[in-house]
This record gives sequence, structure tokens and C-alpha cells, in this order.
Amino acid sequence: MKRKWTAETLLAIVLGAALALYLAWPSIQKIRKTRPRQDVLVVYGFSILGEVMNEAIFPAFSRQWKEQTGEDVVFTSSFSGSGTITNQIIMGAPAAIAILSHEGDARRLKEAGAVRTDWREFPARGVVNRTPFIILVRKGNPKRIRSFDDLARSKIGIVHPDPLTSGGARWAILAEFVSATRDPSGADSEDQRRGKAQLLGIWRNVVGQSPSAMGVRTQFENGFGDALITYEQQGLIPRPEGEKKVEIVRPSRTVLSEHIAVLVDRNIRPRDRFLTLAFRDFLFSPEAQRLFVKYGFRSAVDPSLDRTNPALADMPGAVTVDQMGGWEAANALVFEKIWKGEVLKELGK
Amino acid sequence: MTGERSPAAGRRKTLTHRITIGVLWAILTPLLILPLVAIFVFAGRGGWSSFWRTISLPDAQFALRLSLWIALWTSVANAAIGTFSAYVLSKHRFRGRGPLTILVNLPVAIPTVVMGTSLLLLWGPIGLLGRYLVPLGFRPMFAPFGIFLAHLLVTFPYMLGAVKPVLDELEITYEEAAYTMGAGRARTFFYVILPALKGGIFSGTLLTFAHSLGEFGATAMVSGNLRMKTQTAPLFIFAQFEAGQIEIANAVAAVLAVLSFTIFVFLLRFTRNPAREGA
Repeated sequence: MKRKWTAETLLAIVLGAALALYLAWPSIQKIRKTRPRQDVLVVYGFSILGEVMNEAIFPAFSRQWKEQTGEDVVFTSSFSGSGTITNQIIMGAPAAIAILSHEGDARRLKEAGAVRTDWREFPARGVVNRTPFIILVRKGNPKRIRSFDDLARSKIGIVHPDPLTSGGARWAILAEFVSATRDPSGADSEDQRRGKAQLLGIWRNVVGQSPSAMGVRTQFENGFGDALITYEQQGLIPRPEGEKKVEIVRPSRTVLSEHIAVLVDRNIRPRDRFLTLAFRDFLFSPEAQRLFVKYGFRSAVDPSLDRTNPALADMPGAVTVDQMGGWEAANALVFEKIWKGEVLKELGK
Repeated sequence: MTGERSPAAGRRKTLTHRITIGVLWAILTPLLILPLVAIFVFAGRGGWSSFWRTISLPDAQFALRLSLWIALWTSVANAAIGTFSAYVLSKHRFRGRGPLTILVNLPVAIPTVVMGTSLLLLWGPIGLLGRYLVPLGFRPMFAPFGIFLAHLLVTFPYMLGAVKPVLDELEITYEEAAYTMGAGRARTFFYVILPALKGGIFSGTLLTFAHSLGEFGATAMVSGNLRMKTQTAPLFIFAQFEAGQIEIANAVAAVLAVLSFTIFVFLLRFTRNPAREGA
């Protein structure tokens, strides 16, 4: 059978050729101009860091590095839920530096042998930046939500990041718990009873979950739920879609999430070590800290910088995880024992 | 177009006919057509100039190119491996053929995320083989080659499914005639069987291409989602959507939709009835 030389065949050939040209284009350009040597640094970060890193921190460091060494540095980055990137790095993802939402993920990386350098020896014990947990509500606060207690009321729909993958969700659970206790450590049984009742009430109202704090915000902006428990920083950054449609409720008692930077020693080749350490140092430098504050985070290295961003209201009622007995103890009690062991089971009934 | 009158032609004017067609539209409009329309509406909300600006972002361009390259290599590799496998499974009788036939079709039924995980647990640094190979410098995971492997795995059944039925129905007499005329197995394969399979291979390749272009689950597991390095177009769309950049996400989604549409137009036009022509 002989195929007819139809217009369709011609069109297919033309389209195929156009596609081939499109695909080969970068290589064609590469032949025309040889690029100077570039250093590549792979950085993984938890979800809400994407914007500040790509727009501010990476360009600022590249500029500084160029001035100091005359060499170009290119950043390769990936931003996703803290638990997700931790698992990816354990599985072999090539990150040299990772910024995690909480110390628990840093510990997991250490246990897996990916991280060897102790982050607690870094400035501010490895805390790159921090932000209190707040409640995001719809503009005008139609459900009149003022505190975590209000979230446990009936007929409130909450969207929540997924504690399995999102570090923000872990912090949110700590915040929900500590909002009901008399002492932050939640040590006595009366405090534990109050904290558990609060968690039960709030989680009964959870109507939607997403793997990361970033994803759950998109969900919220698309109209799901009446309230979202998230990082204060998430309520401050302008977003093209949801701008001016949400507002922040700052609860009187909440938790201050601390985000940890780690060196993934397993993935750092000896010749990249100098660059990697320089970037680590840059993260804690006044210049980077000021950029973080500009993007709505608070500085643990130098809290006085927080005043440079007028949107960062004073939150005297925000406790640190150290006041709750440290990440490990707080996590074991609030997340593992009470939330996972009791609250989830009771909700399942 | 085809010249022949369809059986329904006589009933064209009847009421039941019209109702049937109306019901089809009523079902497909909210189910299929409107969601697609929504993508284009959101993608084009800022007008052409804004669409061009978003689509020419370096990471969007990179993601599209990477997806197309991966789809290209996957289709080429699958055309060869899939056709060979279909031929052996169809024309040879051997121990384990039955179980193998079922096994090669499994990727359709198993969630792609699981397929991606399985690759990770084989080739990753703590994987069965990766444990020994990664220290030697063979690191397919979190690299484009890993994405290629994943796509090969999940699209394999589509190639096989397009080719094997044609082979199964291909009458043995053609082959026998070739053998009696003194042609060897290889000669028979290349001069008798392969030409008959042309349509099947063509549609299998296009199907593979289209599937690879849109593959998400397995890719998300093995790629590491590194922008400008291992982020494919679907991963880019998901990341942008998560970050609230709905317009950027939809611009790339619209491009993918148009590409897939084009592929299927050609698929339908060129392979109108390969099986009947072949046999």
C-alpha cells in the first residue's frame, strides 16, 4: 500500500521539525557561546521558603560570591513539605544544604547518616528564621474567630496542612495544644487534659488537608474552609490570587516555629565544601536576616531586626519549643502520645 | 469523510437520535469539556502578552523541554523494547509466558506512585541494587535518567497493548509463506511482520509519548523535583499551583493540553484502521 502524500503528512512533518528545533535550541545556543565555569549549589527547603530564597537570598549570595571570588554560582533548588524533602534526601536527593521546618526532620537526617555536622553549633543554634503560628481567616472575619478556642466551635471549617508531610502541621498541633494549657510544657495531667480537649475540638472541624503549608494556603484561597492555621509569614506575603481576601488573627497564646538549616555532609563533595559553608554563613549574616524579615519571617539571630518590618506585630504570648521542653519532648507528648495516640483514634470512632 | 453511510444515517432525523446525542453532550460537557475550557480561561486571563511572559519563564521552558525530551526517548526506547516483547510473547511458546504476559501489563493497574517508589527502592542509595551501585557513581535516581526509567516502566503496557493484538491476529499464513520461500526468522520479521505492525507501532509510540508527557506520580517520586534540572512540566504545574501561581501553572498546562490534542489528532487520522489494513 502506498501512502498518499497528503496535507496531513506534510503538516505532521512540519510540526515534527518545529518540535525538533525547539528541543535542540538550547544546545544550538550553547555551541555559539561557551559559558564560563559555574559552581552549582543544590538547596532543598520546606515549602514556604520558595519565594524568599528564589527572589532574594539566592540572588544576593550570587552577587556577593561574584564580588569575592569572581566566579558565578548557580542555585538548583526544590521546595516542598519539610517531611517530603527530608524523605527525598534520605532516599538520596542531592541537596548540599537543607532548611527544614523543625528539628525533628533534622534529627531524622542525622539518624540516616545524611547530616553529620551538628547544626546546634551554628549561629542561633541553627535557627535560620522563625515565625509565630497564627490563624488565617476570610476578609472581615465573618465567623468572628479570635483564638484557637473559637476554632473548636461548631460550624467552623478548618483547612490544615497534613502532619505526615508538613512541618507546619506539626507546629500547628503544638500551637493548638499550648493555646489551652496553663504552663507551656503541658507537664501536669490537668494541662494535658485541656490540651487534648482543644485538639479534639479543632480536629473535629478539619475539612481539608494538603501535603504542605503552601499547598493548603492555595486550597484556602480557592474557597475551602473558614480558617487556616499556618505560619504568620504566610499571611503577610502578598499573593496574586488571594491578596486582600484573607486576614490574620494573632492568638494570645501560640508557638514560635523555628526553622533549622543543616549541612547534608553526605552530598557535599570536598571541592564544594568551601562554597557550601560560605552559603551557610551567609544565611545567618545580617544581610540575609534582613531579607528574611522583609519577607515576613522573624530573626532568631538578631530579634531587633524584626522592627524593620512594620507588619510584624509584637506577640508576647508566642512561646518557643524550648519553653515546651524542647522539640523532642514536646513532639513525643503532644504529637505522638496525645494527637496520634488519642485524638486521631477518638475522631476515627 | 469516509463516504460510507453509517447505520445511524437513516435514523438521523428521529427524536430518539437527537435525545441520545443531547444526553451525550449533557454528560460530556461538565465531565470533560468544561474543565478543559477552565484551563484555557485561566491561562489566558492576562491576555496574550502575559501568556507569553509566563510561558517564556526559564523554568517553564526548561520543564517543557525536559518533558518533551523524556517523552521522545521513552517513545523510541519503548517502540523497540515493546515491539520486541510483543513479538516474543506472541510468537514464541516458553515456560513462564502466561505469568509474564500478566506481569508486563501490571503497570496499568498499579498506581504510578507505587511504580516510582519501587524504582527508588531498587536504584536509590538505600535500594536493593543502589546500595552497591550508588557508591560506584551510578546514580539514576533524582536525575533525568531516573525519570526516563520511570516513564519506560509506566508506559510499557501501552506500547505492548497497541502492538500485541495486531501480532496475535496476524495470520500465520504470511509467515509460513515467507518461510517456505526460504526467508529466515529475521528476514521474515523485518520484511513481513514489521510492515504489518507499522500502524500498531505508530499508535503505540504516540500513546507512549502522550502518557510520558503527562506522567506525574512516578516522576514525583524519582525526580527530586529540582527546578531547571529534573522538574518536568507536570511537576512544574503542580509546584506553581501549590505556590498559588495559578496563571503560570495554567499557561504550561494549556501548552501540554494543546500538545496532547495534536498528538491524538494524528493518532486518529493516521491509524484509522491499521489492523484491518495489516491483516
